[in-house]
Amino acid sequence: MTQIPTRRAFFVGGAVLGAGALATACTSNAPAAAPSSAAAAPQPAATGGNDAAGTAVTIGFSAPAADHGWIAAIARNAESAAKTYSDVTFKPVDPTNDINQQIAAVESLIQAKVGVIVMLPNDGEQLNQVARQAMDAGIPVVNLDRIFPDKLSYRTWIGGDNYGMGVAAGHYIGKKLKDKGVSNPVIVEIQGIATLPLTQDRSKGFADALSTYGFTVTAKQDAKFTVETGTQVATNLLQAHKKIDAMWNHDDDQGIGVLAAIKEAGRNEFFMVGGAGSANAMRDIQSGNSVLEATVTYSPTMASSAIKLARLIGQGKGMSDLVENEVPSSITLASETITKDNVAKYIQLGFES
Amino acid sequence: MIDTRQRGNVAGREAVWRRITGTRHAGLVVALALLAVIGLVTVPDTFATSSNLVSILALASTIGVITVGMTFVIIGGGIDLSVGAVMALASVWGTTLATQSYGPAVMVLCAVLVGAGAGLVNGVLVAYGRLVPFIATLAMLVAARGLAQRISEKKTQLVQSANDVIVSLSTTRWLGLPLLVFLFALVVVVGWLVLNRTTFGRRTYAVGGNPEAARLAGINIRRHTMYLYALSGLCCGIAAVIIMARTTTGSSTHGDLYELDAIAAVIIGGTLLSGGRGTITGSILGLLIFTVITNLFILNGLDTSDQLIAKGLIIVIAVLLQRRNALGGTS
Amino acid sequence: MLEVRNIVKHFPGVRALDGVDLDVRAGEVHCLLGQNGAGKSTLIKILAGAHQPDSGTISFDDKPIRLATPTAAMRAGIATIYQELDLVDGLSVAENVFLGHEHSRFGFNRRGESRRATAGLLARLGHPEIPPDAEVGGLSPAAKQIVSMARALSHDARLIIMDEPSAALAHDEVANLFRIIRDLAAHGVSVVYISHRLEEIREIGDRVTVLKDGRAVASGLPAHDTPTREIVSLMTGRSIEHAFPDRTGAEFGDDVLRVTELTIPGVVDRVSFTVRAGEIVGLAGLVGSGRSEILEAVYGARPASGTVTVRGRPVRGGPHGAVRLGLGLAPEERKAQALLLDQSVAANITLATLGNHARFGWIDRRGERAAARRLIETLDVRPPDLDRPIRTLSGGNQQKAVLARWLAEDRTVLLLDEPTRGVDVGARAELYALINRLAGQGIAILLVSSEVPEVLGLADRVLVIRDGRIIHQAPAADLDEHAVLDMIMEGSAL
Repeated sequence: MTQIPTRRAFFVGGAVLGAGALATACTSNAPAAAPSSAAAAPQPAATGGNDAAGTAVTIGFSAPAADHGWIAAIARNAESAAKTYSDVTFKPVDPTNDINQQIAAVESLIQAKVGVIVMLPNDGEQLNQVARQAMDAGIPVVNLDRIFPDKLSYRTWIGGDNYGMGVAAGHYIGKKLKDKGVSNPVIVEIQGIATLPLTQDRSKGFADALSTYGFTVTAKQDAKFTVETGTQVATNLLQAHKKIDAMWNHDDDQGIGVLAAIKEAGRNEFFMVGGAGSANAMRDIQSGNSVLEATVTYSPTMASSAIKLARLIGQGKGMSDLVENEVPSSITLASETITKDNVAKYIQLGFES
Repeated sequence: MIDTRQRGNVAGREAVWRRITGTRHAGLVVALALLAVIGLVTVPDTFATSSNLVSILALASTIGVITVGMTFVIIGGGIDLSVGAVMALASVWGTTLATQSYGPAVMVLCAVLVGAGAGLVNGVLVAYGRLVPFIATLAMLVAARGLAQRISEKKTQLVQSANDVIVSLSTTRWLGLPLLVFLFALVVVVGWLVLNRTTFGRRTYAVGGNPEAARLAGINIRRHTMYLYALSGLCCGIAAVIIMARTTTGSSTHGDLYELDAIAAVIIGGTLLSGGRGTITGSILGLLIFTVITNLFILNGLDTSDQLIAKGLIIVIAVLLQRRNALGGTS
Repeated sequence: MLEVRNIVKHFPGVRALDGVDLDVRAGEVHCLLGQNGAGKSTLIKILAGAHQPDSGTISFDDKPIRLATPTAAMRAGIATIYQELDLVDGLSVAENVFLGHEHSRFGFNRRGESRRATAGLLARLGHPEIPPDAEVGGLSPAAKQIVSMARALSHDARLIIMDEPSAALAHDEVANLFRIIRDLAAHGVSVVYISHRLEEIREIGDRVTVLKDGRAVASGLPAHDTPTREIVSLMTGRSIEHAFPDRTGAEFGDDVLRVTELTIPGVVDRVSFTVRAGEIVGLAGLVGSGRSEILEAVYGARPASGTVTVRGRPVRGGPHGAVRLGLGLAPEERKAQALLLDQSVAANITLATLGNHARFGWIDRRGERAAARRLIETLDVRPPDLDRPIRTLSGGNQQKAVLARWLAEDRTVLLLDEPTRGVDVGARAELYALINRLAGQGIAILLVSSEVPEVLGLADRVLVIRDGRIIHQAPAADLDEHAVLDMIMEGSAL
């Protein structure tokens, strides 16, 4: 809370006076609205001499509209990573959730003959064609997160491990319950959007990991990655199961709503694992005053790494810790499990939802 | 001779009418009872518990409050597509750090005023700007979501611990019920009284049922229409407070597609989409049917897709029954 | 060619047609005359297939036919051009002409062919300048009428029924219309022509059939040389005598309603008059003469220039303001403009004066119901049931409820537009007595009726309206039905 009082007064005053002046009151106050402790560009562990200025590279960037904390963090991370290099010109296009618009945006990057394109497609299948066009035009594409089916459509893929996330959550829950000696535990899973392949991968990893302990998922329901759907689904699930041993919620954003529902129901007999690794979730884990004990990462820091990779590709460099002269064609980030013990190390990487 | 035959006809029609009005909500009550029976049979140990029933009421409360406002607008011959977006906007505006620094009372006031203000804009556009309600409120839907995203910078805004009084609406219980259920009940009761016991309510039926007759009877139909949308916006503001309490957040993603659920509940409840006829009781029963269906599906561990199919079927069946009633009433 | 025999048609409470006969020969222009409510529109709708007769026969080309639907009538070769033209504004001329019987192959419209055929029809009607591709919504009323006729011809219609085709047309456009009608007749097409204007009938018609009270009182009169007096007396002269209250000796107070230079461009032209407290003033005129528009403008329901004052205070702010100044309107279209059909009798009666039964917006239900009950009893609304939906009442009782709405508080001026339309005979007498009683209480009443005897029987003073102007005014006692009909139909002030 580092607010300038006069601005604050104006803002609330405007609200109180009614929404007649909706537009003006809030444009002028947008900065005051929610000052995030914006995720500082995560600094790399060590990249040796590669950070020294080299040939200038223009990096085009295209991602979906940031209507979700994770995606917003992706855009922010990409931008701040690019800013740290004097030899990088960052050229983002309008973020959009419309497939056609994203295709058009990427086409405009091809026309502009940028050096490298970093793209998080709305849908890998549907954007495959345009990525292929870029590659054919000699522009390397760094594919972020959602993968293109055609290997000719990207130079390098970097992304999280959805299956691995499920595995990490499954191992955490499985081990903990095994240690406690619980038999036939009630394990509840709250998914994100059920129709997405990433959700299905996460669920499969979760089930597979649990099965190594001889456990199965008792019930699963899908929310829609929003706080509100998280509340709705959790409220009903808590009614359906009077006693729960463990819960995995795929997404920390909707997790806020899930936790609110748990609090409202006054339940605390179980522990919960989150997903993605938001700053909120980490703070909850740190404070230890909710059922949330751990979260498995699917970190938006991958966007920072993607920009770095794009720069290296543009400059024809390899990754200095590796023997090879060029950047690898595929990098899968590990899903890390954050608990109270190691949360301090991660907390500055957490994204604000 | 003609006279007696006519009287016979009228008496017959009257009987038909009485039967329809008397049993106006019977179909809904039967449907609800049927769902309850399904619940008792399929999930006997979870469905009929008091905590599950409380959950159903808590779940229904957000859209419920919106449905009350929507009932007024639709009886008044309009439609409000912007409800979900306006609720999101109010929730966001009510939870900015700036607003939060003034404490919970200001947060509530801010949410309610933003809701009412956005509703007023709808009302002015429809009543004085002569925009078709569908278009005016569609524009508001899009714009209010955009504004909510802008203010929140697309982030989820948490209610801070200093303002936990708001969250206590959801966590504090009185007589075994969360306070927000009482808030919901209060809105329903006040809505019912306004619709049935005040000149405003009576004129709402007149404006929706026959705007020309209302105008010629000296009712200022434009001003009245404006108030109806402002009222709907006010309800969205109250719903925003409830969602803030329930999710501990304000977010531009709140209330997605609420407009469809609210309109569906109103229609299932027997309110004519063309206006002039309808009840709050019916709308709330319609909403409860929807909420119980969702609850039953989750209690049974069924897929959400089937739940959507069931809801679609219920809308169609309800409207078909309604049309039969309407024909019976007028023929 | 067309033979209609003994057609009977009932509507609830009304016998609209009571054994009508009509004969139309090939290639003739047959005029249909009659006052409002005589049964003309019902007869047209039966010929167009929109209504089914209760009994009677229709034969076309000596063969009995059944016109079960509008399409059946079209197929038989009978086309109807209604007063409110039934064209789709958003479609082109050609699309309208061939609407429902498009030139098509495999479901695809053959638009070129439609355009050519339309152009041919329009040329035949003497209007090749109307482009087949133009959007109908942008055409003038006269051009729209031509399009309607082209549509009729596109069905190879051999009998075209025209309902007041000249009402929306300017003078020279009427001349063109007549040229087309003559041309059609010369090609063997028969035309049934309905108009209130005798001069038109004399010009274009061959023979005349006069309807009155659902019967044809004269058929096949020669249109050119039957004396006006004879036609008018056929149209008037009631079969049922109404008991009009005796208004002699009625006492009037001061001028209450004063209307000065009231003008609605193109409809009403500088109309000025006054109504005194306790006086009934009647407006006599045809549909479209501006009589209803005058009422609506006085009430503030229609924009107009000029001034209207009630007891010296100007009426402002639309109906809302008019009601505050003590005006009340019982509009022409009871169901469309006055009633909340789904609502109870009580709610309908107290609609305008609800504020009197409410404190801070909260309705005093007992007070409201008591007031409604009192009015139902005073006006003898039957059945005397407050909670019954008003749609289940007969027309007369609905009308009483509309009047009751304005009696719930003291009104200064009542504007009554067709107060007895759709009301059966018995109930009319009651309404007349009621209106008389209201005037006796000192209410100034302005009355519009299409039925000249009603205006003459009820009003103290009559204003004759034609083409938006008052062409004559006189005490009712000094006028008779013939004279008034002459004036409103032919415009010859005495």
